[in-house]
Amino acid sequence: MLLFILRRLLWAVPVLWAVATLTFVMMHLVPGGPFDREKKLPPEIKANIEAKYHLDKPFAVQYGLYLKGLLKGDLGPSYKYLGRTVNDVIADTLPVSIQLGALALFIALVLGLLAGMASGAFAQTAWDKTSMFFATAGISIPNFVLGAFLILVFSHQFKLFPPALWEDARSVVLPAFALGLAPAAYIARLTRSSILEEKHRDYVRTARAKGLPETTILFRHVLKNAITPVITVLGPLAATLVTGSFVIEFIFSVPGMGKFFITAVTNRDYPLIMGVTLVYALLVVLANLLVDLFYTVIDPRIQLE
Amino acid sequence: MKALLISLLFIGLVASFLWPSADRGTVESEAVFRMNLTAEPPTLDWALATDNVSIRVIENLMEGLTAYDAALRPQPAIAARWTVSGDGRIYTFHLRPDVYWSDGKQVTAHDFEYAWKRLLNPATASEYAYFLYDVENAAAYNTGRIKDADLVGVKALHDLTLRVDLKKQAVYFPSVTTFTATFPQRKDLIERYGDRWTEPAHLVTLGAFRLEEWRHEYRLTLVANEHYYGDRPALDRVIFYVVSEETTALTLYETGYLDRVTLPPIAIPRYKTHPDYVRAPFLRGYYYGFNLDKAPFDKVKVRQAFSMAIDREEIPKILKGGEIPATSWIPQGMFAHNPEIGLAFNPEKARRFLAEAGYKNGAGLPPITLAFNTDPTNRMIAEHIQAQWKKNLGVTVLLDNMEWKVYLQQLREDTPQVFRLGWGADYPDPDNFMNLFTSTSGNNNTHWGNAEYDRFISDAASEGDPSKRLALYDAAQRILTETDVPIMPLFFAAQNLLISPEIEGLEVNAMDLIHLKKVKRKPSNKVQS
Repeated sequence: MLLFILRRLLWAVPVLWAVATLTFVMMHLVPGGPFDREKKLPPEIKANIEAKYHLDKPFAVQYGLYLKGLLKGDLGPSYKYLGRTVNDVIADTLPVSIQLGALALFIALVLGLLAGMASGAFAQTAWDKTSMFFATAGISIPNFVLGAFLILVFSHQFKLFPPALWEDARSVVLPAFALGLAPAAYIARLTRSSILEEKHRDYVRTARAKGLPETTILFRHVLKNAITPVITVLGPLAATLVTGSFVIEFIFSVPGMGKFFITAVTNRDYPLIMGVTLVYALLVVLANLLVDLFYTVIDPRIQLE
Repeated sequence: MKALLISLLFIGLVASFLWPSADRGTVESEAVFRMNLTAEPPTLDWALATDNVSIRVIENLMEGLTAYDAALRPQPAIAARWTVSGDGRIYTFHLRPDVYWSDGKQVTAHDFEYAWKRLLNPATASEYAYFLYDVENAAAYNTGRIKDADLVGVKALHDLTLRVDLKKQAVYFPSVTTFTATFPQRKDLIERYGDRWTEPAHLVTLGAFRLEEWRHEYRLTLVANEHYYGDRPALDRVIFYVVSEETTALTLYETGYLDRVTLPPIAIPRYKTHPDYVRAPFLRGYYYGFNLDKAPFDKVKVRQAFSMAIDREEIPKILKGGEIPATSWIPQGMFAHNPEIGLAFNPEKARRFLAEAGYKNGAGLPPITLAFNTDPTNRMIAEHIQAQWKKNLGVTVLLDNMEWKVYLQQLREDTPQVFRLGWGADYPDPDNFMNLFTSTSGNNNTHWGNAEYDRFISDAASEGDPSKRLALYDAAQRILTETDVPIMPLFFAAQNLLISPEIEGLEVNAMDLIHLKKVKRKPSNKVQS
């Protein structure tokens, strides 16, 4: 087990290196640089700035310098937020995103599993149709529409929660639901179809022939097997949720990390683009590792080699 | 199943851990003013700040030698008075003796000398270093042609006297010293804390407020500065929330979390009759430029025809933000603004000019592309102009939009035939707008140059007599928008705001500067938070 984890972590190194290299090359290929402005900088001043950030050096040298810093855990200075390093920016914003993302994940799992299990168990009933209606709606409605809707109803109309900002526990509720409902719908549909598939397997027929009650069949046997696909998607989903969402952070003014996936690129803030991409890649690797470990817990047939 | 429950519990635990702290940064008895910033301030180092968000915060923390009054005229601030030599080249600023930093230390002319040399030091890599290029040897030092900072024409003669040598007369220089980049800085603190000197624990300022808290990406809190040399501000506390989304800011205003907000264009019609609604001019021009190196815009008649074919009165009807249609370039609210200048809408004359240029009804024209950066407002305007050119000239123009930074590179490397740009005032003097199109300006993308125009702008910059200065700008504007037409101005922007009735004394000026030291909150009203 320990050996397995260690080997997987070692594998993460070339993965992250590949991500870093690809991102580095691609972002430099995009036209436009970090210091292009509506009010164009005099060439001498631009030269001063580019010298400060080594942007005047050949591409290979810049790449070498970046990797050298990366080995020391130094993600470099932000070009946009002067005087702050990318490490600072991530340290300020990632905890917020993790917190919001974890709550959204919790909502997604609880709602998604409950609705999916109910639908799968009572397929083709009114209950199934209602919950699948909401699941389809949840997937189809973009989160900015959902966010606006939640603000309108729960903030404007009923004044239960603040419309935005990050002041206290009440601030977290609306963005967490806006972020978590779409994955909840996804999990619900996945759980339902997985249960339906399992229900027609031989072992279920055997269980029925033995006279086991339907609830026991469902909870003791079917669910255990049906849950595997949900666990599989959980890894990347968790990584996505905890690194934040541009849209949700904008609508609700949440000081999270998600916005940088967009704004760092529009600002051509190269070190910040690299920083958030690498954090995301690292989290995906870790989440997938956790998922693999989890498989062995729920399914003894799966062995770690 | 058990494992699933355990992991659910675990995720729930993480989620409930580290709730945002309940600290709201306000006490009910305090006079608080809350507004939003449209982004996290990139920096509070006034030698490096170039964006209006950072500058908005800095302007309430700091002051310079001079400061604008409500009509945007420079008035004494830290400099009690100044003298100018006969040839207009030497400014001697006499500092007030009673100005103190928020840590109690006196503000001296040495703080200015240090700040200006730091601004100009190439290692600082300041974008706004060129603001001081009027100073003797400033440009040479900033570009590395000379290494000795002491050759730069700024010197503290003693603690309260600052001498500035300009390389030539610049009548607008007291406007330059209102600008944040020229504010004094503390050598001891910057050397001690390096890049971190702007964090709340280290930042020392001298304005009406000081920085108490800076939660990055979220909130900045300013409190009244007890060491301020002027009257103590009426507000105890100012909270800037970072709210980028305009509609979110509007919702926060409506629910009582903000005291001032800029209206998103879409909401303007609905709030036009609202008692809190305020509209004011804004020193920002919006124009289309022509690339004179590309046919057919190498012909002046074509440029004139294209400019005359546009009915600019339609633009405010489309954008609905109170925009002021413009045929001239110096904006309303600024000296030398003259709406009579420029080519008025005249479709017949436009068609005739196009025919005289050899393109009767557009026949024989090469394909024409109008480029703009991706943005809903830019698109609405571009589509309107495209339709007008089709209707009034019979010319089909293609639209091409690009992401902002890609667009900027395109302008620099291969300027499109017709392109959109805007310009906002750095200081409220026509020099700032007119200098843009001189042949040496790095921001002139039209590839147009006119020696006479250049001379008018240079003469106007050093002309002390207002009526002569006005005549120079009128003549220059006629070249720019009537005879040579490298650009066609379209409109000047407007500000559309909501200001809480509980707030008094918030002046709205054409530069969108916000000075909070005279702002009051009416007592007895509770702040929702």
